[in-house]
Amino acid sequence: MRTSLRLLVPIAAAALPFAVLAGPASAATNSYQATLNPLNHSTGTGMATITTNGNSAQVKVSWSGLADQFSGGPYPHVQHIHIGGAGHCPTAADDKNGDGVISTTEGGPAYGGIGTTLSTKGDTSPKAGTDIKIAPSGGSTSYSRTIQLSADTVSSLQNGTGVIVVHGLDPATLSKKAQNEKSDLVPSLPLAATSPALCGTLSSMPSGGVATGTGSTSGVEDLGTLALGGGLLALGGAALVARRRVAVKA
Amino acid sequence: MKPLVTGRRGWLTLVALVAVAAGLALVVVAVRAQVSAPQPPRSVGAVDAPSPSSTPAAGGRVKPTARPGPRALGPSAPRSISIPAIGVRSVVNPIGLNTDGTLAVPQPGPHLDQAAWFENSPTPGQPGPSVVEGHVDSDRGPSVFFELGRLRPGNVIRITRADGVRVTFTVDAVRDYKKSRFPTDVVYGAKDLSRPELRLITCSQFDPAIRHHVGNAVIFAHLTATRR
Repeated sequence: MRTSLRLLVPIAAAALPFAVLAGPASAATNSYQATLNPLNHSTGTGMATITTNGNSAQVKVSWSGLADQFSGGPYPHVQHIHIGGAGHCPTAADDKNGDGVISTTEGGPAYGGIGTTLSTKGDTSPKAGTDIKIAPSGGSTSYSRTIQLSADTVSSLQNGTGVIVVHGLDPATLSKKAQNEKSDLVPSLPLAATSPALCGTLSSMPSGGVATGTGSTSGVEDLGTLALGGGLLALGGAALVARRRVAVKA
Repeated sequence: MKPLVTGRRGWLTLVALVAVAAGLALVVVAVRAQVSAPQPPRSVGAVDAPSPSSTPAAGGRVKPTARPGPRALGPSAPRSISIPAIGVRSVVNPIGLNTDGTLAVPQPGPHLDQAAWFENSPTPGQPGPSVVEGHVDSDRGPSVFFELGRLRPGNVIRITRADGVRVTFTVDAVRDYKKSRFPTDVVYGAKDLSRPELRLITCSQFDPAIRHHVGNAVIFAHLTATRR
């Protein structure tokens, strides 16, 4: 498009914000996503998606790069949907006791309490929150389970305060002081075992399509040049024809 | 010697000839300036390229993640993108959601014709689908993803991250969706969330009657190389 089409620009620009025409296929279905980023110097990374239909939820959680072994066996990593907090992941500023580790309790104001336990089987209530027997284990996992969510969890997802937290740090990455501390949740375990390793806020997946175009290249570009050229052609041609007719007559 | 042009009629002929020549030249220039975005195919390639870990676990079963491609990376925002097959080189800016829940798009200003990374999606190289969008055209004419519809499986996309790591994705599939039937879970989610993937999105299917694009072209790609 060239300067000759400037007149159409305001129309195209006005269309820019409106170009999304559709919402999700079914109003009852909601989809959420969370990018799981490392906390407490863990080296892990992951992603989670949740598709809800009423209280029913298809939950997928995938992560890798977490501590692999614990006391000679696969490292259990309890994972939850935390709810009722500020809806974000804690930062170093939340390490109130300055031991270099944001404990589960210290992260509470940011991500809230446990709403749903993402266990591999059985209980998914907050009560199963520290049950390592039904937690995914090892350094990586691909978790997929359809579960029922509590009304509290559903409303937290809807208002953007659902946060996925995966727990369990490699003790070797902790400060000397922190390595000797007991867990704030299960005193029989070391602090590393229950502290958050991955965290990600659940947000709604974008609804509908994406308005990435104005149609400025879909019409005729250089309309002015085209019109001027065509006009000159027509005029000149007409003049020539008229000239020839005169000549023939003469 | 007779002058080349004599009398009023001679001058008229000359002017008419010049007008015809100039008119022809202008029409040729204008026709050559016509551009239109290449239309993406409706469906080419497989969105979920087969991988050993792509069978979803039933019930609550958990199984170790197979890792056929390069290791997934930690988070680091994308800074630039290049797509050699269609001559794209662009800065990548972060972008979020509109208040109505739709994905925001680059607005008029310095970022209008640059690519944008959806900041709630993984950064390129992290597990899961990282989402990068760009306009097909803007009020300035062809935009950053004008030729996206020309991409085919096997083409590569290179992204440089803020941490300096350069990641290469290889195209698996091209899809052209109606916006009214946009498959949110397929585009922003994935069958296998452990695989670092990339989605490129732009507009398609311009409807002249309503002066809007009614389609979205989506490129599906997966991570094939990382370089520090």
